[in-house]
Amino acid sequence: MKKAIGLALAVLATSVVAASAQGSNRIAAVSAAGVNCKSTITLPLVTPVTGGAGFLGAEQGSWSKYAVKTLAKPLGLKVKFVLGDTPVEQGPAPAQALAQKYVADKSVLVVLGPSTSGAVAASSSTYYAAKIAHISPSATRTSLTQGSSKEATPAFFRVVPGDYIQGPSDANFMIKTLKVKKVVLLDFQEPYSTGLSDSVEGVLKKAGVSTTRLSAPNTTTDYSAYVTKVPSDADIVFFPTQKPGDAQTFAQQLVEQGKKAKVFGGDGSNDPSAFKAGGSYVSNFAPDITGIKADAAIVAGWKKENPGKAVGSFGPPSYGATQVALNAIALACKAGHGTTTRQAVLSSIKKVKIKNWILGGDLRWSTKSNDPLNAKFYIFQIQSNGAYKLVG
Amino acid sequence: MDTFLQLTVDALTLGSVYALIALGYTLVYGVLKLLNFAHGDVFMVGSFIGFGVLQLLGGTSKPVVPVWLLLVLMVLAAMVGCAVLGVVIERFAYRPLRDAPRIAPLISALGVSFFLANSMQLLFGATPRNYNIFDLANASLYTKGFNVGNVHVALLRIITVVAAFVLMVLLWFLVNRTRTGKAMRATSYDREAAAMMGIDIDKVIVFTFVLGSALAGAGGVLQSLRVPTTVAIGFVVGLKGFTAAVIGGIGSIPGAMAGGLILGFAESFSQGYISTKWSDLIVFSILIAFMIFRPQGLLGRADIRKV
Repeated sequence: MKKAIGLALAVLATSVVAASAQGSNRIAAVSAAGVNCKSTITLPLVTPVTGGAGFLGAEQGSWSKYAVKTLAKPLGLKVKFVLGDTPVEQGPAPAQALAQKYVADKSVLVVLGPSTSGAVAASSSTYYAAKIAHISPSATRTSLTQGSSKEATPAFFRVVPGDYIQGPSDANFMIKTLKVKKVVLLDFQEPYSTGLSDSVEGVLKKAGVSTTRLSAPNTTTDYSAYVTKVPSDADIVFFPTQKPGDAQTFAQQLVEQGKKAKVFGGDGSNDPSAFKAGGSYVSNFAPDITGIKADAAIVAGWKKENPGKAVGSFGPPSYGATQVALNAIALACKAGHGTTTRQAVLSSIKKVKIKNWILGGDLRWSTKSNDPLNAKFYIFQIQSNGAYKLVG
Repeated sequence: MDTFLQLTVDALTLGSVYALIALGYTLVYGVLKLLNFAHGDVFMVGSFIGFGVLQLLGGTSKPVVPVWLLLVLMVLAAMVGCAVLGVVIERFAYRPLRDAPRIAPLISALGVSFFLANSMQLLFGATPRNYNIFDLANASLYTKGFNVGNVHVALLRIITVVAAFVLMVLLWFLVNRTRTGKAMRATSYDREAAAMMGIDIDKVIVFTFVLGSALAGAGGVLQSLRVPTTVAIGFVVGLKGFTAAVIGGIGSIPGAMAGGLILGFAESFSQGYISTKWSDLIVFSILIAFMIFRPQGLLGRADIRKV
């Protein structure tokens, strides 16, 4: 009986190894296969469509869809745009599952996203193994592209600056403009907020600012007990959530408990429809593009497609990431005389240069990393009527 | 001392909402021996109904009725809507499986939970809904209230706690002082014997779902008065409500009330005095401790089986 069980286990183990090897070979074959540039190319955007950060997917999806609709045809491409859902509450698992799905689909040459840093870290090696470039419109965690132990692979690109710019920008604004003495920092036990809070806290401490660090599970909805821990003489609560409504709740609960501190959110809380507590601050990688003359036609076209919706800060970089992806495919197709591969598209990403970039100026790539060159963060103060005013 | 008082206020607010959810779990379990994992999603639907009523009545900026009436209507509409939803869930997802092995309705409950969350998302999208009660009547629900020392107890918290306790007292009265309550208790004690005594079991079970779901609806509105709601909120609050029910002794109505408050206090005080980072770990460790050392919960009865 024992022998039979042992034999069965051995057969099972051999089958698993063989199946895995076959799977790897199949993916390698899919990656190396040439794709006819006249065929329909699938372009996925990996972003939270559901859950507390679902607003992100809705906004980014609408802008990427618009970019595909307006840019693909002039570049001679037939593109099918699809959304892949990575709810932030479910951690890295959905991003990993989607990566497996897309590397097995030979019509996928490049992927947009993932939108969040944790999802990028979880899936980048899968894309890299399949030679698929993935371009994020919003993942800002520093260690994705910088430092000795990078969390993302050379297949990862982003069109927005990282937290290595956001953290010091926010901290320096607090120190120089707001003249803070005491700051409370929260993180939400996931890569984005932890990294950003670490970055801000480091600069504040160096400048001699007193800091208190709090940490809330990503599923927290009621912050009353956290507000209780905010000292009554604290100037700022740095609150880098990816759920802007929570930043609003926190600001209101500060008022309820008579605390004078103001909330300072990161790019993840930049949503004028949800975070509108007067006196609060928020930073973002994109300016208000409605003020950029060169973007007037794009904004008008998008508004026509999305009546009644406001131009937010997450959508335009998504348009930009799509523009980079489509241009890279077009460049690779041109070099391959009508056929291309994932590797060729990956190699073409940094050759893409865009004049009149949607976020202002021109898009150029850093030679040291897969980050955009000279990108910066903008700081807004929320006015009493909820409007965002650029202050830094 | 101020911190202690503030955390107590937080705990009472949080705990009273948890207690309302726990009561729904406990009522259904008491009568059907079913863990209704869709209960958290009924809570979520209630919070959306409240939001809908708020918008219909002019929103927080220009309400067409007085503030007190607006709040009452929101809670009542959510209770009625969720009660109807509870009846539909019982009729189509649980009644056909009433005599099936206990795992079948449990799986059905999980299915209903996913169905509700995804249907709501298809209908209303994933965007969080914020009641923005802060904007109502110049933030008076936040700024009015009373002070205990340096701690401000906002009117909104008083409303939440008082409303929850009134509902709990009404439920206690209904279960312990009415014929319908007597029928519920009899069904809970021995369903077959109750049927033989002429009790209409179907009616009792439907009524139980009406009560439990209505409480969830009220809880959904009371919680969303202070924090935004999303279609995904049901899972987390459902888990907390279930934990409260188990701690208090699932099947016991006073137990569910006590369990909710214990959970609220455990969560607030662990965040306030131990660590904000480990509060969920501490809360769920309490659940594990109860499962190991007192599986029947605080006020539940040990399950005795004839062998």
